[in-house]
Formats: sequence, C-alpha cells, structure tokens
Amino acid sequence: MAKLILLWLKCVVLWAIVEAVFEDQVGKFDWRQQYVGKVRFSHFDTHVQSSKKVLVATERNVFAALNTRTGELFWRHVDKTGSEGNIDALLQHGQDAVLVVGNGRLLRSWEINVGGLNWEVVLDSGSFQSACLVGQQDMVKHVAVLKKTAISVHYLSNGHQKWIENLPETETVDYQAVYSDGNGEVYVLGVVPHSHIAIVVYSMEDGEIIKQMSVEAPWLYNIQASCVVVGQGMLTCVDSAGVSFYMLDLHLQLQMTQVPLQSLALEVDPGFHPVLLSHQPNPARQPLSEFFLQLGPDHYQLLQLNNGQIAAMRDFKPALLVSFATTGEKTVAAVMSPKNKTACSVNLFSAETGRRLLDTTLIVNMDPNGGKPEKLYVQAFLKKDDSVGYRAMVQTEDHTLTFIQQPGRVMWTREEALSDVVTMEMVDLPLTGTQAELEGEFGKKAAIQDGLMSMVMKRLSSQLILLQAWIGHLWKLFYDARKPRSQVKNDVTIENLSRDEFNLQKMMVMVTASGKLFGIDSKTGGILWRHYLHNVPPNAAFKLMVQRTTAHFPHPPQCTLLIKDKDTGLGTLHVFNPIFGKKSHVTPPALPQPILQSLMLPLMDQDYAKVLLLVDDQYKVSAFPSTKNVLQQLQEMAASIFFYLVDSSQGRLSGYRLRTDLSTEQIWEVIIPPEVQKIVSVKGKRPNEHVHSQGRVMGDRSVLYKYLNPNLLAVVTESTDLHQERSFIGILLIDGVTGRIIHEAIQRKARGPVHVVHSENWVVYEYWSTKSRRNEFSVIELYEGMELYNSTVFSSLDRPHAPQVLQQSYIFPSSISTMEATLTEKGITSRHLLIGLPSGGILSLPKMFLDPRRPEIVSEQSREENLIPYAPELLIRTEWFINYNQTVSRVRGIYTAPSGLESTCLVVAYGLDIYQTRVYPSKQFDVLKDDYDYMLISSVLFALFFATMISKRLAEVKLLNRAWR
Amino acid sequence: MASPGGQGGGGALSTRGGGGARRMKWALELSLGNTRSRGDRQGGQGDVVYPIGYSEKPVPDTSIQETDKNLVEKRCWDVALGPLKQIPMNLFIMYMSGNTISIFPIMMVCMMAWRPIQALMSMSATFKLLESSSQQWLQGLVYLVGNLLGSALAIYKCQSMGLLPTHSSDWLAFIDPPQRMEIMGGGMVL
Repeated sequence: MAKLILLWLKCVVLWAIVEAVFEDQVGKFDWRQQYVGKVRFSHFDTHVQSSKKVLVATERNVFAALNTRTGELFWRHVDKTGSEGNIDALLQHGQDAVLVVGNGRLLRSWEINVGGLNWEVVLDSGSFQSACLVGQQDMVKHVAVLKKTAISVHYLSNGHQKWIENLPETETVDYQAVYSDGNGEVYVLGVVPHSHIAIVVYSMEDGEIIKQMSVEAPWLYNIQASCVVVGQGMLTCVDSAGVSFYMLDLHLQLQMTQVPLQSLALEVDPGFHPVLLSHQPNPARQPLSEFFLQLGPDHYQLLQLNNGQIAAMRDFKPALLVSFATTGEKTVAAVMSPKNKTACSVNLFSAETGRRLLDTTLIVNMDPNGGKPEKLYVQAFLKKDDSVGYRAMVQTEDHTLTFIQQPGRVMWTREEALSDVVTMEMVDLPLTGTQAELEGEFGKKAAIQDGLMSMVMKRLSSQLILLQAWIGHLWKLFYDARKPRSQVKNDVTIENLSRDEFNLQKMMVMVTASGKLFGIDSKTGGILWRHYLHNVPPNAAFKLMVQRTTAHFPHPPQCTLLIKDKDTGLGTLHVFNPIFGKKSHVTPPALPQPILQSLMLPLMDQDYAKVLLLVDDQYKVSAFPSTKNVLQQLQEMAASIFFYLVDSSQGRLSGYRLRTDLSTEQIWEVIIPPEVQKIVSVKGKRPNEHVHSQGRVMGDRSVLYKYLNPNLLAVVTESTDLHQERSFIGILLIDGVTGRIIHEAIQRKARGPVHVVHSENWVVYEYWSTKSRRNEFSVIELYEGMELYNSTVFSSLDRPHAPQVLQQSYIFPSSISTMEATLTEKGITSRHLLIGLPSGGILSLPKMFLDPRRPEIVSEQSREENLIPYAPELLIRTEWFINYNQTVSRVRGIYTAPSGLESTCLVVAYGLDIYQTRVYPSKQFDVLKDDYDYMLISSVLFALFFATMISKRLAEVKLLNRAWR
Repeated sequence: MASPGGQGGGGALSTRGGGGARRMKWALELSLGNTRSRGDRQGGQGDVVYPIGYSEKPVPDTSIQETDKNLVEKRCWDVALGPLKQIPMNLFIMYMSGNTISIFPIMMVCMMAWRPIQALMSMSATFKLLESSSQQWLQGLVYLVGNLLGSALAIYKCQSMGLLPTHSSDWLAFIDPPQRMEIMGGGMVL
C-alpha cells in the first residue's frame, strides 16, 4: 500500500506544475532592485587613488560598498533587524573597515575590496559609547572601544584584545568619548552633568592609567554634542546657550579657558544649539586646527585655533551643509549654499587659509519633488596639476543619495526610500493617445449627440489615424531592425507609456515610510515619477486607495492616500494621478477630526470616481467626493452600507450601519478580553477577487458548494501569556455585517507571529507550534453543502444555515516572513500561495497541497477528484522558488495583481529589496510558449500550401492527358 | 417480354450466316468503310440492312423470375429487422470498449449514435423500399423501434461513460456568482 501511495505521489508530483524558469528566461519577465536604506555612516575608500568604492552603513543594519561610477552595489551585508544588528560605529583604515554592531555586542572587521569578513570578536557586555582608531608613530594598529564601564583596545590585524580596563568612578561619571592622536596615549572623556569633566589617560602599551583628572564644567552635560578635539589636543566646547567657547588642553589639563563668542563677533541664532565640526584626517596624527561652528540652520563659521587663540577665518551664510575632505596632504572644506529655489552650489575652500579654490563650483539641482539636502559627503582627489578635484554625495531628507561630479553632472541616484515600502497598488496604464481618442469618440455620450453621418465620418477619420499610427510603428520597427541590437533601447518614459496587449505592464505606485511616493514601471523597474510629501510624521499610518482607474477616459485616474499621524490621530488626504504622480486639482476635504478608518464603496459619482467614506472618532461619516449626486446615492444605499472597526488595544470588534443622515449606529460588538488575548490581524477578502467556480465537483459528480461570503472576516488573536505550555493562538471567522461568529478555532501550545491569507472560501494561517517546536500551516475551508441556499443573491442577513467547516494542518520546514495568494482576472486559474521566506526565497506553493479534503486513505472517489493523499509534511521543492537565485532580503510584503491574461498573475515582493515577476499557477494555457517554433510551423504550413497547389496542378494535367488518350 | 425478339435475332443470324457461306466462296469488298474484315457490325452495307438501334448481341434476361411473394416479404423483413439485429453486436462492442474516455470508445459511441440517427433521417427512403411488402407499416414500425433502441443504447453508453450533462456538476460553470446585497468595509483602527 505504501508503495502504491508513493507511486501515486510521484505521479502527482510529476504532473503537478513545474514552474521554474528556463535559463534563457532569466531576467526576461522579472527584475530585482537592491537597496541599503537610509545612510548613517559613509566613508570613501581613499587608500587607493583610483578606488571606486564608497562604504555605507545604514539605519536598516546594512553594510555595503557602492560603486561610485554607477551607483551599483559591489557587495552588501544584511545584518539582523532591530537593535541586535544595529551598526553603532564605522571606522575605516586602509583596506579594513571596523564595525561595532548591536550596541557594542560585536566588533567586526571587513575587507573592503571583496567584502569578506576579516575577523569578528564578541565584546564584553555593556552599553556602547564610542570607538576610535588608535595610532602610534604614524601606524594605525589598534582600535579602542569605549563602553559604559570599560575601555578595551583590540589589534586591528586580528581583533585580539590587547587590554581591557575598568573605568574609575563609573557610578558618577558618564564616559562618552575616546580620543587619541598618535602619541601613545588614549584619552577617555567623561562628564558629570553640570559639574565637571573627567579625563582619564591610559597608556597604549599596557592600559595603565597615566593621569586622571577632573575639570570644572558646570555648563556641560553632553560631550559628544558640544565638544570636539582640535589641533594639538585642545578640547574645544561650546555651551548650549551659545555664549562662549571653553578650551582645555588635554596634555596640560590646567583649567578651562573661556572665550566669549562675542569677542569673535559671532552670534548664535536664537533657539539654536551650536554645533562644532572638526576633522582628523589620520588617526595617528593630530586633528586639524581648523574647525566649523554652526551658528544657525544655514549659518556656518570656519575658525582656526592658533597658539591657543581662536580666530575667525570665514563666515558662510547662507550655507546648508559643510564637510571636510582630505586628499594626500591637502584638506579642503566643502560648503553647500543655496543658489536659487531649485539648485544649490558646492564650493571648495582651502582649510588652511579659508580661501576659495578656483574652478571648484559644483551645481546641485534639487528635485522639486524631493527633500532638502541633509548630509554632504565629499570625495576629494588630486588632479594631475596638483589641484584638488572632488565629487560629492548628497543625502536628502527623502533618503535619496545623489552622486555628483563637477560641474554638476549627476552620475547616479539611489532612492533608498524604496527600502522601506509600506503599501503599494498596481494601476493599469492608460491606452495610447489614438486608442483613447477612439474610446472617447465612440462613447455613449457621443453616440447620442451626433447623427449617423457624422458618426460615419468620425469612424473613417479615426481609422485613418489608426492606419497612420500603424505605419509609423512599422517604420520604427524597420528602422530599429537595421541598427545593432545593443543600440536599440526601449526606454519607457512617462510620455510613451501605454497599455500593452495583455495588460502585463502596469504602474506600481509605492508608498514608503519616509513619505516619498514612487511610480515604477512594472516591466523594467524604472522609476517614472517620484513625489516627496513633506511633513509626514515618522510613525504615520498609510492607506492607499484607487478611486478611479484609467478606464474612464477622459477623466484622469485618481489615487488617494490617507496619511494618519498616530500621535494626534489626525489624518490628511493626498489625491494624485497615479500615472504621472502629479497632485490632483481635486481638493481633498480637510479632516478636523481624528480618522479611525476609511472605506471604499463601489458607488461612483458622475465623474466615475469611487466614493470614499471616512469614519471619524465620533463615528460620523464623511464622503469624498461629496457632491450632491453622491450624497443622494448614499442616502438611497445607506441601508445596505455596513462597516466594522477593530480596536486591538481594547480587544473590541464592532459593526456599524450607516443611517441616511450619514450618522452611524452600532449594530454588533464582540469583546475579546485584552488581558487574555490580543487581536493581531483582521483579514477580509480582496474586493477585486473573482471566484469563477461556485463549488467543487466531488468524485460522484455531485457538487459541494463553496461558502462564498464576501463579508467574512478572519480575526487572528494571540495569547498574552507567552509561556510555551499556556500560549495559544485563536482564529475567529466572523460575519462583518451581522457580527455572527461563523467559526472559532483555538490552537493550543502555539505562538505567533501568525501569517494569514483569506480568500475565496478558505483561510490559511501559519504559526509556531511550541509543543512540537516547528512551523505549522493550517487551512480552513467553508462549504455550504450539496445545496445552494440562494444562488442569485448573497445577503448576510438571510443565512439560516451555518456552513460546513473543514480543517487540516501540515508541517512546514521553514519559518516564513509573509504570505499572499495569487490573483487572476476571472479566477479560473488555480490558486497558489506565495510565501516569502527569511532566507530570501519566494515560494509558490500550490493551494492543492493545502486542502482539508486531502484523504488519509485513498479511495476511488478521491482519486477521481485529484486529491493528493494526506501527508503531514509539506515539502519545499526548489523549482517552486519563483525568484531562482535572486534573493530578496527581508521580504515584508507581497503584492499580487491580475493581468489581462487569465493565466498570469503579477507579483511584487518588497522589503529591503524589490522583486517583480509573473507567475503562471496553471501554466500558460492561454499563450503560446516562449520557445514556440513559429518558423517550423509557418514553413510547414507554407510547404503544405504549395504542395497542395502543385499537386492540384499536376492532377489537372494528368486528368487532361487521360482525357486525350 | 424481350424473349420473342431475342429468339428472332438468333434466327436471323443463323440464316444470314448460312446463306452467306452458301452463296460464294470468297468476296472482295472495295466499298469504303468496309476495310475491316469483320463486317458484322457494319452489316448495313451487306444485303441485310438492320434497322438503327438494332443490336446483334442477345440482351440478357434480367426479368425477375416469377417466384413466390414470400421472397419479397422476407427481404423486406430483413431490412426492417436490420437495426434490431445490430443491437447484440453493439452491446458486445460496448462491453469491450469499456467506460474510459479515450479516442476509440468515443469513436465507437459516435458511430453507434450516428448510425440510428442517419437511418431515422432516411426513413422515407426505407419506406419506399418496403413499399412492395404487404406488411409495410408493421415493418416500418419495427425498423423505427430498432433504430430508437440503437440510439437509446448509444445514449446509455454515453451516460455510463459520463458524457451526458445529467449531474449538477455539469452545470456548475454556468452558475453566476451571487449578487452582493450589502456593502461592507473597514478594518483595524489606523
């Protein structure tokens, strides 16, 4: 029997869809973009003059090297998410880059040419404060790491600890900075807030304390924010009130000398905390004696320390950003100042003299749809004539990195905001101009207005236009065919965007956490438009809705983004055209009340825009657009409009009904006690989902009808008690209109995170079983039975019979990051589950394997139904990975959209990377294969045609001859 | 009816042959059109002129022999019982071909279904055939019943092969999705 089952399984597996791409299809339908996230530290690789690398360590815990010529990644290392992989410091020396990771947990050294790990050491526990490279006699051989209670020095070559010393008086002193200038001593600077500075000097050789001293400084509370070391070990601080400088010679340590800013004729902008910026080109030598003082948001001053005297060198106002850069022995200061509204200019100044260097102006054109510049990184190099040339990398507040060469040529741009996509939609592209013209001409309105004759004329003229367009297309084809293939570029720009034959190319509208919106062409991955929304709070919640599609020419398509500030609860609406990214001229309503939820109705106003209902905290509803027509429709429909709200903090699910005066009435409420379990997620069905088959055919050819309740919600709860014996997860199927609980299941000894997919008549969820220590999938299917209660209309209010519930569970060999189901135009194609794995793979698992009707004992009937015999393990077959070797790091979400072809579903996986591809859950039954032999078929056809012609002729001749005989 | 003529022709041939042999030993004919030695067909040039359309060959006797009427009846019954006689054969074929759906059983079922239908369509021609019989109506009825049985058998076969849309599952694809009566939306409080 077992053998039989095995054989049967083999057959099924062989028969089951093989989906892997062929080698020559790689990159044909799919693309991947890799990102690093918002840059926190950046260093240019300067140890070789011709180096093309810039090292970046980002807030998304990524350490990477970018190619400065193209902006592509040389290599990238993705660490753990959260604080465990947080990059605290990046130090670079020669070919080595030293990273402190995870709040001082690990010290790592990377080889920057190939991105290999040199060594890694685990540091003693303790909160990380600061790190620096320590040099001696012009040689940098050590790295010092300062923690809250200890300082340790490690060899740069192998990471071994040279010495570790506990810091004195750690109960009172807050040690914050470590400094070394190559004289064999390490200075640790600590502060007792509003009292004094504590300075401990260690010997580099054995870690012995050479000196220990405290200096009165009642105005100081944070060394890193207000102090720098300048020149020959002169600790220079500026007090927060911005009144004066305080200087202390670290080598002599006598007393702080106070220099009032007024004596230098400097004045800090009111309310601004002045900031100092110094530069130490080589850790084995002393820092520069020149430094910047920021006096206001756009005001900088270059100062020089000379024999203990501070002298003002040059005043920069307005100046947005300043930066030092060193090449060889020369150090320059780059200053970015605004030029006009759309451009900034960067100039180089000699650090020693403060004089402007000739021919060093660089124009930075600011994207009007971007943010303000935030950081400036300068790569300086010596030209052949010994003058200094430079390139600049500008980071703006929308997380964009722009690399600019003199005199203003943008070499590359990286949109790092895309590493944090929050939500997205795919919008159909508009028809071409001619097609749209046709649509417009033969619309219903036109037909009524015009008579027969003019319609005929219109038809003729439009046909002429079409012919013209076709000839133009042919001419272009012919023209392109003569060029070598590499030169032919099908650049998609916003002007020539048009829908393709099968609607496979769409516009991906992506909303990122930074508040930047992108329009990306799904075929090539090119960014077609970008729009930065200023003033988006950092913890905003976004909801993107398509109000009008491209199907209603000449009305432009319209998307609405609801942005809600989680702190104040207030929401704003951003209405835009998803194809061009332009803000719509439709003015969204002002939302004075905090918004709880929004819901999109299938009603349309006279301009074909779907109606958006916004529910405020008084449970009142406002409509957008709110024309008279809409309000009238709403009044008529009010009795059949329901909505539900889930408040997970109070564990409350409640359903509301709309009254004709747009107030609401609560009709049901379910309380899930938040002390015991909390609501994790609520999943309804996707509004654009179609189900073709209303039932399933049984082995005896009767029908088991599906319970297709469009108002069904799947509510997932997790227990607050996380003890592995007592933790549980719950799933609740509830009707959103009536509040009736259709089904309830509790999985004991299970823990989240729970990933859930709800579609058609099934719910699939995945959880961690603490009892068996494994990941498990569970599937619930709902059936109405052998009879349909009402086959024409579905009303939740009239459903006397409870559905039959079937459930089965399986073991899955991997944890998962996210899960989504495929979606096709008509819902005829079988469904697959797309599972994002932490390993970076995206698995396409046929829903067939997650079917609660899978029998334990194979019978004639189940074989007739093509049911696979139940096996507890779900296998991961390597050909099910739709992204072959294109690893997608940290998948956060998968978006699926139907295409014009029933067989094809468009898939976008986003996270740190973005990956777009197509999947064919039932293979490409409606398209000829990619390798279809057109030549063979057409040549055979032609050959047959000619053979028939010739044989016909021959037969005629023969007949004639016979007649003559 | 043609037998007297035939006998007469035979007589003429024998007299002419006999006469010719008796009259001369040899003859040289110089007239045009008689270059062939065998002048039988062009006998018009000789002494005896045959009328146009006259054939020397004897016409075969195609007349139905005067037999008993039973033979006709029997023949007509053969025609009428033909479809019925095929049924056992069809049953055997049915049994042999099995219920799997593949090209050969389908072809057989098509043949089985098509033949009675074809026969029923050409009923009038068959009736004409049976015209001479005294039991024409009875025979016609039997023929009809036989063909109906044949098609019933074919339908039964279709049924057992599962080709007939008799189950609710066969109409599943035509059920439209039910119309939604309520509009519902919402979600977690943002």
